[in-house]
Amino acid sequence: MLAETRPSLGSIALTFATIAATSFGGGQKASIRRQVLARGWIDADGFLEGLEIAQVLPGPNLLNLAIYCGQRARGVPGAVAAFAGVSIPPFAIVLVAGALYFKFASNPFVYGALRGCAAGALGLTLGNALELTWDERKSWLSVALVAATGLAVSLLHMPLLPVLAIFGGAGILGEWRRARKGSAA
Amino acid sequence: MGTLLHLLSVFSQLSILGFGGGKGIIPQMHAEVVTTYRWVSSEQFTQFYTIGKLVPGPTTIFAALIGYAALPQHPLLGAAVATAAMFVPSSLIMIGFNSLEARFSASPWRAIISRGLAPAIVGLVWSSVWTIGRGAPSSVAAYLTSAAVVVLMLRTKINAPLLILLSGGVGIAALR
Repeated sequence: MLAETRPSLGSIALTFATIAATSFGGGQKASIRRQVLARGWIDADGFLEGLEIAQVLPGPNLLNLAIYCGQRARGVPGAVAAFAGVSIPPFAIVLVAGALYFKFASNPFVYGALRGCAAGALGLTLGNALELTWDERKSWLSVALVAATGLAVSLLHMPLLPVLAIFGGAGILGEWRRARKGSAA
Repeated sequence: MGTLLHLLSVFSQLSILGFGGGKGIIPQMHAEVVTTYRWVSSEQFTQFYTIGKLVPGPTTIFAALIGYAALPQHPLLGAAVATAAMFVPSSLIMIGFNSLEARFSASPWRAIISRGLAPAIVGLVWSSVWTIGRGAPSSVAAYLTSAAVVVLMLRTKINAPLLILLSGGVGIAALR
């Protein structure tokens, strides 16, 4: 099926550019799923697998998922087209925002708005932290790792690489032991 | 030239370490671009992060704004280099992994790694709250705005950019 539907690189780039340019506040995964399944670039199982891989590997989920789909449809050139599609519109938009920022940030009204927006973004980050912590509540090891990581980074200024190696490593070890116990039982 | 190389090295390292969709890199990014290189202030860092959440696409696109500020003589070049460094290395890993994918297909390791890394990423998100808070306004009105956004985010379906814009409205009235 995949061999029959060979989309052009331009249509891959344009599809993902449209999704990236209109992805305000989430919902991108659902729209990617809808578009790539409808176009026959990938099947439902393949998409699910791509989503898992996109979330395990480093990088924005939206970008990784688009690359996965582009690559399944047209190989490495398809991945490059998807990369360009996802990156270019947000880059252009953020540049315009940046130019406006440096021109107008000292205007008291704009400055007030920016400070208000910053308070809002802080609230979103805090809400995100609460939500994600709630997801970890079932395991004491996980809750302890959340707390230890937060303290090591914010109080001791531990850099990211050792944080991931130590606390991420401990978490992976815990999951591995649990998986082994589960399969032995 | 020195600044360009530093932008490349800072953001490409963050790109490779950007597990969990990149949610965990904010504290390290702040340490590099505010404390070590002084490209932006803490307040600007928070505002750029805010713009990153406001515009469509991945939040980490705000790397472009840091590149823009770091290279005032050639802001577009700075923005392009920072963005490329932020996005290209992780994308190459993704492409490389897909090319070998058959070998790893349906491996139980995938779930073990993503679930195992999750608590550390969540801890890093808590540290991000601290980091972003350092550059956010500190007044009763600002704290109330943040608290209201937490409640609205958890209890309603109002989307994130809209909540930020509403907070901006509060800011015009109360945070000038």
